[in-house]
Amino acid sequence: MTGADLTELRAAVRAWCAEHIPADWRRSQTAVSDEDFVAFQKWWFAELRSAGFAVPHWPREWGGGMPVAEQVVLYQELAAHDAPRLVLAFVGIHHAAATLLVAGTDEQRRRHLPAILDGEVWVQGFSEPEAGSDLASLRTSARKDGDTYVVNGQKLWASGGLHADWCLLLARTDPNAPKRKGISYFLLDMKTPGVDVRPIRNAIGESHFCEIFLNDVVIPAANLVGAQDAGWRVAQQTLGAERGLTMLELAERLGHAGFRWLVEACAAERVLGDSVVQDKLAQFEIEITGLRGLCRDVVERSEAGTAGPADASIVKLFYSELLQRLTDFGAEVTGPAAHTRLTKPLSSGWESGCWMLDFIGSWEWTIPGGSSEIQRTIIGERGLGLPREPSVL
Amino acid sequence: MSSAFEEFHDELRAVAGDLLAKDPVVDWNVLVQTGWVGLEVPEKLGGAGATFREVAVVCEEMGRATSSSNYLGSTVLAVGALKELQPSASRDQLLTGIANGAVRAAVAIGSFALDRDQRLSGRAEFVPDIEGADRLLIVATDPDGSPVLAQATGVTVESQPVLDETRRLAAVTADDVAAEQVWRFERGLRQLQDRAAVAVACDSLGLAEAMLSATVSYAGVRQQFGRPIGSFQAVKHACADMAVTIAVSSRLVGDAAAAIAQERPDTTTAASMAKSYACGAAVDVVGKAMQLHGGIGYTWESGIHVYLKRAALNRSLFGSSATHRKDMAQRYLATDQE
Repeated sequence: MTGADLTELRAAVRAWCAEHIPADWRRSQTAVSDEDFVAFQKWWFAELRSAGFAVPHWPREWGGGMPVAEQVVLYQELAAHDAPRLVLAFVGIHHAAATLLVAGTDEQRRRHLPAILDGEVWVQGFSEPEAGSDLASLRTSARKDGDTYVVNGQKLWASGGLHADWCLLLARTDPNAPKRKGISYFLLDMKTPGVDVRPIRNAIGESHFCEIFLNDVVIPAANLVGAQDAGWRVAQQTLGAERGLTMLELAERLGHAGFRWLVEACAAERVLGDSVVQDKLAQFEIEITGLRGLCRDVVERSEAGTAGPADASIVKLFYSELLQRLTDFGAEVTGPAAHTRLTKPLSSGWESGCWMLDFIGSWEWTIPGGSSEIQRTIIGERGLGLPREPSVL
Repeated sequence: MSSAFEEFHDELRAVAGDLLAKDPVVDWNVLVQTGWVGLEVPEKLGGAGATFREVAVVCEEMGRATSSSNYLGSTVLAVGALKELQPSASRDQLLTGIANGAVRAAVAIGSFALDRDQRLSGRAEFVPDIEGADRLLIVATDPDGSPVLAQATGVTVESQPVLDETRRLAAVTADDVAAEQVWRFERGLRQLQDRAAVAVACDSLGLAEAMLSATVSYAGVRQQFGRPIGSFQAVKHACADMAVTIAVSSRLVGDAAAAIAQERPDTTTAASMAKSYACGAAVDVVGKAMQLHGGIGYTWESGIHVYLKRAALNRSLFGSSATHRKDMAQRYLATDQE
């Protein structure tokens, strides 16, 4: 890919953005009903899909195949033009797709990948009330019964659970094996009888994440991903596979929307001349630039098969804590006014323009997906080879 | 990036790493024999015709080994300054002399002025590797306000001992001395300053990597409470934080080195980012290394103090981290006028 080709692509994406991104979506998606939010998300996903921008990171045969350098340009332009985020499709196009591509059967791929492109929504059913950071201690059980599994248990922090069609589910198939050995990975149809979803209100006040109660839920054995009792390994593989890819877009958003807005906020508050503010801004710009380089590096090395065992953790940890500091500074610099924005536009990520809400929301990045503490342990043990804690099996 | 390029870097890194690990003091003739002095000198002048990216590899390895050498002043800056000049026979002759080891030059950047009679006055402090150099190359402002490079004798060089014993710095004073030769820069002085900043950032990256590696090894074998201290989260997580800042430093430094090699228009910003972040992070990393080594880390014998002094000096040379961030921030002020 030459520089000229990238310039051409950039111009094409720009033109597309100018034509397709609704100018008033932030206003129209503020304090909107759940139904309207879902409809808007599905419409926006379909728009991106028609342009070939929905799943650029997927393999070509499934509708993707965009080189990393082009993806970076795409994400930069989407961010710069303030495109809505794919909140609802996120788990499907990243986690579910990575799982199917890495560990799924051909039949599972054929069944679900095109469906995801048609708008099938996914949720991740991993965490439980007693299995957070210690995910492998999960207790939801799946008992083999002929050609099916019967599942009982409770899942927690399932983002988007209310609107999901399908669930990536981890459940224990062998209660007597060591905790990492007895887990299996399933694809669960959320319409199955016995599935009960209840929203939990989060710190921002939204009800995006959910509890999922599973009561004698029957899953066909054909919906097992990988071998029975090998689910932990599948989960580890796929979490690693998707991490870099999701981060590529998030890092470009940070550079091309988040930081720009922060500078504009400082200008609006008339503090850009302040040397302390200048120093902070420059430090943020440096860290964002470093992050963008890291993300790109991780994606390229994942594709080449040369990624280090802790690369994804380094990116996740640095991104989430940088985001927290950046939104904190945004809230600080914009003063009491930051506290008067009581709701943020749905379909925005942390870059909602409501600094205080975004600051609160930043814990949605430092806690889930392996908290910062867990990431540091992974970096120490898998990345640097430091000895494990003796009490942890 | 081509894999042949990567392979060359890996090989250069391995060779430099092995050689520098043997002896902390690296003589000028070793720098010449290895070809490191002539890396950026064009092939027709006896050099390797390589780029700043290769020089950056050597700088990083010198940081890793806390090498004491004249490389920064007499190669990175001297060759860099000469390459920034408008082409001339005298310039090429000097570059040839440097590449074959006959001439050890050094560059002083300070507040020197050249008057209409080609006489030089001014002063520079903390100039690396200029003591004992064969040629003194002084960056000065000519009567028109343009930066020039002047070669002069009769300049006073006064040693400035610093806590970091691995570097030799000196103050340079010119009091109305005759410039024997004056060259004009093709672009300006900025490129030379960017190069100095990034070379030092490479050094800090290398020394931070060395300290992380030493700390991880130590934490894996040092036992307390019946287990290796590296198994405790307080120690493990501190090591993880070191690894993260080094990963970020590495990206920024790599990008800045590439920017210099490719003469990219955003080189100054990339250089400021690398200098500010990597040099700041290195001080934190070495400080944490000293802490995690416990009492042993605070001994003279452990040698960690050598890294701490060098990291802190690097942070101060060629623009502090805060100065570089301040320069970067001037770009934001345009937002104010919108």
